[in-house]
This record gives sequence, structure tokens and C-alpha cells, in this order.
Amino acid sequence: MKSKNLVKIISTIVGIVIALFFVVLVVADPDQDIVAKSPLLGQPAPAIASETIDGEQFVLERRKGSWVVLNFFNSTCVPCINEHSLLVDFAKTEAINQNAAEIYTIINDDSSDAVREFFVKNGGDWPKVKDDNGAIAVAFGVARVPETWIIDPNGMVRLRITGELSPGLLSEQVNLLRDGFTS
Amino acid sequence: MKTRKSIWLAMFLLVAVLLVFGASRTGGPKTQQDRIDSITSVLACPTCSGESVFVSRAAAADSIRAEVARQVAAGLRSDEQIMSYIEQRFGGQVLLVPRATGVDSLVWALPVAALVFSMFLLVSAFVKWRGNKPTSPTSQDEQIVARALNERI
Repeated sequence: MKSKNLVKIISTIVGIVIALFFVVLVVADPDQDIVAKSPLLGQPAPAIASETIDGEQFVLERRKGSWVVLNFFNSTCVPCINEHSLLVDFAKTEAINQNAAEIYTIINDDSSDAVREFFVKNGGDWPKVKDDNGAIAVAFGVARVPETWIIDPNGMVRLRITGELSPGLLSEQVNLLRDGFTS
Repeated sequence: MKTRKSIWLAMFLLVAVLLVFGASRTGGPKTQQDRIDSITSVLACPTCSGESVFVSRAAAADSIRAEVARQVAAGLRSDEQIMSYIEQRFGGQVLLVPRATGVDSLVWALPVAALVFSMFLLVSAFVKWRGNKPTSPTSQDEQIVARALNERI
């Protein structure tokens, strides 16, 4: 009799736990944040150094004092191609801003020639940084492109956007961060 | 009975000693390639499903492999520190073997707890069954047996 009661109690508890799991699944909001999570957010940007496809040196640390936008890119990736015109527009808007953000393309698993050809065809005169063995991608934890990162003038990582940009998103986020920034 | 118990105890001790020996035994000094292989085989490829960085040919896995090789060649970080570096970048899901700290430790602790609990339930059940079994026949049992024997005769 006692063991029958124990079985009833245990099965009721198990049933309640399973029911709670279902409630959590149904009630929980899907993650709709445009900002992707990263342990690097709010931390100093990784120390990266490389060179551009035009042979100029690129040291991220030396860009302190400016807002920096890093866009991880591959010329064969469809979302990268889709968002490119938005980046061109963003660069044009920033060019007339006094506190302009600098934009850099980080080449992900692609050849310099292919990237050069893509930019000649589609516009965009900002520096394209080589990442030959993926050290920059690993330093930022980038597994898939495109990804866009914003770094503040103190060299701190402020925002990570994974996937294709939507129209106006980058300008909106940079302006928001710029407005709330105190050095 | 005593000898049987001693044999079981000896076997248990032998297994325990062998387990401790096997777990603590080191395979000698590792080459750089050994270190790269052992680190990348416990890191998950971030763009594949269930593949380690060691076996994956994906671009992200290539990059991680190259970074591990670069850090091993630099000789500044231990294997654990290199894994932590990758984990800090890609998050805890990049580790194929969960850590034994924080919430991750539940992965290790829960099966052991479930095993111990099950063993406890089993032992309790056995003890109870044993307790219910009459140790000597009652007078009623003896009468039944006697009756049955008489009938046979």
C-alpha cells in the first residue's frame, strides 16, 4: 500500500516536471534580438594585425579614437552580396559625418582577386583586410559570414550583428551607440 | 562463505587499482602535432553538426585548427588555455566534452546521482522482499506438507 502511494507521488512529480517543460516551451519568446550574443561584448577588441589586399598594414589597435565597423565577408556568400549595397550606402552617409565610423571588410575564406573584382563591380572603396588562415575570424568567434561588428573609440567591442543586415540597421545602431558614448 | 567474500573483495580492489593506474598514466611527452590533434578532437566544428574540428573540413574548422596550431607553435599557452581561448570566442557549445564546473557539471553529476538512487531503490526492494520471506515453516505449512505426504502414502 505504501509503495503504491510512493509510485503515485513519483509519477505525479515527473508528470508536473514534464508539463512545466511544455509550458516553458510554449510561453518562451523566441530570441528576436538583432544583437547577437558574444563573450566579447563589452570587452576590449582582440588585438589583430594583418594587411589589406592593397598591401597596407592594418592594426586594429591603432584605430582607437574612431568608431570601427568590421564586416566579415566572402564574395560568394549570398547574404554578403545582398547586404553589400547597404554597406555602400552606410559608407557614403558616414563620409559626411564629423565623427565618422571607419568600415573595414575582413575577407573570410576568399581570394584577394575575387574580392577586388567584386568591389570593382559593386562599389565600396574602404579597406579590405586579408585573413589568410582565419586568425581574425577565430579571434572574434566568427563561424559564418556575413557578420558585422562595431568597436567604439576606446577599442571596446560594442555590437555584433550576425547574418544579413536589414536596411538602415547599421546606421541606426552606430548612431545609437555614438549618442550614448562617453569616452 | 568467507572465502567467497574475500575473492570478491580482492577482485574489486584489483579493478579499482587498475582503474586508478589507467586514469593517471601519462603517455609520455607529446609532440606539437599530438597536442594539436588532441585539442582539436575535443572542439566542435561551429558550422557542422556533431563533427569535431579535428575531422571537419569546413572553413570555420580550418580556421580554428590553424589558430590552435599557431598557439601550440608559439608555446605560450597550455592545452587548457588554448581551449579556453576558443571557448571564450565561440561559447561553451564549442566544447565537445562539457566542463565539470557550473551548470555543465550536471551532465556528469546527474547520471551518477540517478545510478546511486536506482541502486538504493533496488537494494531497498531486495531487502524488503527478503524480509517478507518466512525464514522457517509455520506449523500450518508443516501440517500441509504432512497431509500431502499422507495422501501420497
